[in-house]
Amino acid sequence: MTGDPDEALLARVARGDPAAVRALMGRKLPRLMSLSQRMLGVAAEAEDVAQEVFVRVWKQAPHWKPGAAKFDTWLHRVALNLCYDRLRRRREIATADPPDAPDEGPAPDRGLQAADTGARVSQALQQLPDRQREAIVLCHYQELGNIEAATIMGVSVEALESLLSRGRRALRAALADMVER
Amino acid sequence: MNRQRFQELAEAYGGEVARWPLAEREAAALLMAEDPDFTRQTLAEADSLDALLDAWRPAPASSRLMEAILAVAPAPRPQPRWRGWLMPAGLGAGLAAACAAGVLFGVQLEQRAAGGDASVSAVADLDLSGLSEDV
Repeated sequence: MTGDPDEALLARVARGDPAAVRALMGRKLPRLMSLSQRMLGVAAEAEDVAQEVFVRVWKQAPHWKPGAAKFDTWLHRVALNLCYDRLRRRREIATADPPDAPDEGPAPDRGLQAADTGARVSQALQQLPDRQREAIVLCHYQELGNIEAATIMGVSVEALESLLSRGRRALRAALADMVER
Repeated sequence: MNRQRFQELAEAYGGEVARWPLAEREAAALLMAEDPDFTRQTLAEADSLDALLDAWRPAPASSRLMEAILAVAPAPRPQPRWRGWLMPAGLGAGLAAACAAGVLFGVQLEQRAAGGDASVSAVADLDLSGLSEDV
């Protein structure tokens, strides 16, 4: 055993053990939904990503070699790659077909949206540069340690810290009316 | 750790010291003891942003998604067919062998008790042909 908490479960998944398949899904799906929704901001797209990730998980399980990397680290990397594919596609579509200018006038539900803290935070997070958002999602929401988050992002711990600081500063500015001082 | 580093860590990792890099937590705890007003204020500011971030809760996975994931999961490997009949066959062979050994042992005891050479005819009389069918 390598100390990877998912190793034994993966071995059972590889044998097609139905209880293990359900247990792995129960353990990882909420984390994948959290990661994908916070990266993409859209629940339906996050579900598509989660489904694609699991297709890869089921394929990978019989070939998983313990010791090379933690399964959870690999899982995050796969999910993030799929999120970035979608973000890239969005930008290509937006460039080819720019959306109409946002309507700044009053709208019946604008007050409601402003009152919804979660929606405001989601919106502010989507406005961040991708790498700053990724750093905050990994460290704050996924509660990964700085070394593991930096490994997943392929950056140094110092670079991660810089991304986190800039991201949080931008969020504080965007949510200034809601942040208690 | 000085004030500047404490503030940098709070701005990067938030107001919960337990989420800070492991290597810096002890020094942070010392500064918190030495400089409680500054550190408390710094952590409170970071906490307020943390609380806002936590207000956004993602939607849980739908049952449709879970069904779709399970639909393509690895199927249980079928048991090889030979395992179905090998177990009873092996059990039968074992029992037959144990019976035969018991008979032989009994015959030998009888022969010793009789002091004669009846064993040759007794063993010759045993029918062991059925064993091979079970194995």
